[in-house]
Amino acid sequence: MNAPDRYERFVVPEGTKKVSYERDTKIINAASFTVEREDHTIGNILRMQLHRDPNVLFAGYKLPHPLQYKIIVRIHTASQSSPMQAYNQAINDLDKELDHLKNAFEIELAKHSREY
Amino acid sequence: MDGGVTYQRFPKLKIREMRDDVVKFELRETDASMANALRRVMIAEVPTVAIDLVEIEVNSTVLNDEFIAHRLGLIPLTSDRAMSMRFSRDCDACDGDGQCEFCSVEFHLRAKCLTDQTLDVTSKDLYSSDHTVVPVDFSDPNEPGEQRGIIIVKLRRGQELRLRAIARKGIGKDHAKWSPAATVTFMYEPMIRINEDLMENLSLEDKRSWVESSPTKVFDIDPVTQQVVVVDPEAYTYDDEVIKKAEAMGKPGLVEIEAKEDSFIFTVESTGAVKASQLVLNAIEILKQKLDAVRLSDDTVEADDQFGELGAHMRGG
Ligand SMILES: [Zn+2]
Repeated sequence: MNAPDRYERFVVPEGTKKVSYERDTKIINAASFTVEREDHTIGNILRMQLHRDPNVLFAGYKLPHPLQYKIIVRIHTASQSSPMQAYNQAINDLDKELDHLKNAFEIELAKHSREY
Repeated sequence: MDGGVTYQRFPKLKIREMRDDVVKFELRETDASMANALRRVMIAEVPTVAIDLVEIEVNSTVLNDEFIAHRLGLIPLTSDRAMSMRFSRDCDACDGDGQCEFCSVEFHLRAKCLTDQTLDVTSKDLYSSDHTVVPVDFSDPNEPGEQRGIIIVKLRRGQELRLRAIARKGIGKDHAKWSPAATVTFMYEPMIRINEDLMENLSLEDKRSWVESSPTKVFDIDPVTQQVVVVDPEAYTYDDEVIKKAEAMGKPGLVEIEAKEDSFIFTVESTGAVKASQLVLNAIEILKQKLDAVRLSDDTVEADDQFGELGAHMRGG
């Protein structure tokens, strides 16, 4: 009767930002990104992609609680970069990787469709 | 933004086997986070269409209304259109009442048993208002006579079922009935290296008992040369049994097995809602959309620029 709606797990409530950004007050070039209604799927690929960036000194994510439908991504970079720059870079690189993957799959698909 | 810096990967992909409902492929030169994201998206975030609302007109069957409604929800419907459909909750053309072409499809079912023979009510008795969204047909093309609908309920003489149902677009995260995936798994490709020097020194009997210590058939003995050979590396389940056996025999290092951390073998099985190959493509597309949704908005960046200036003022005095 009073169960929360299931879509609360993946629909961002009105008036809430999908991604919010908070600088670390003590450490320069460190910040936290709170991403609403995302989980390990996005958290883990972002973290691993950030690790490929040599300017990233630290990158990690956490899912604070299974019933709080958000993740927190924390990034600390060297002075040549910034958390925002690294975050955008990671998303762009992943996006391009997926474009490449889609292409590769379609080429393979065409090969196999011809065989049968 | 900044010209040309990239840490992008260029994964390699090879399809091994493909049927409508199953695809097996190798994914290389990427990492487990990408493989796992694809797996998770295929299971929980690629949309399909499934029955979500049922209005029962007559039900004199042995199953109660909600039991039947639940069974109807679980019937896979062909969902090639789902990627371009709208979710009823964000459709502005309707209130999700089943009359809307953008977000819902209406079904009717009417069945009554008039004989002493038990009547099976199956997914084939569901009549769709949209020929592109129909219950998945599992019949074997080699046996055209055989009807293989999914049984919803059985009727005896005099029992009747009459209902209207509305199917909507949804994702597995909301309810598993919307998941297009029967199973999606990936394994690391194993690298198996036999230490030939140590192996040479084993008697045939020892070789045989070592080969048989593996619960799956990974190794065998060549009948001609009597050498131990790897016959099926992918049968290895990372159970460590052959390694323990080698140690127990006093031959540690007889075999070295490692998981190649950048190579994955995927098995994707679909429920029939979309073709397995299409499921993979849809997952890539959905993952791209998800990434796009987590980009920083302009106002967030602007707010931080101001914060940065403020900080500089404070630091600079
Ligand atoms: Zn609508």
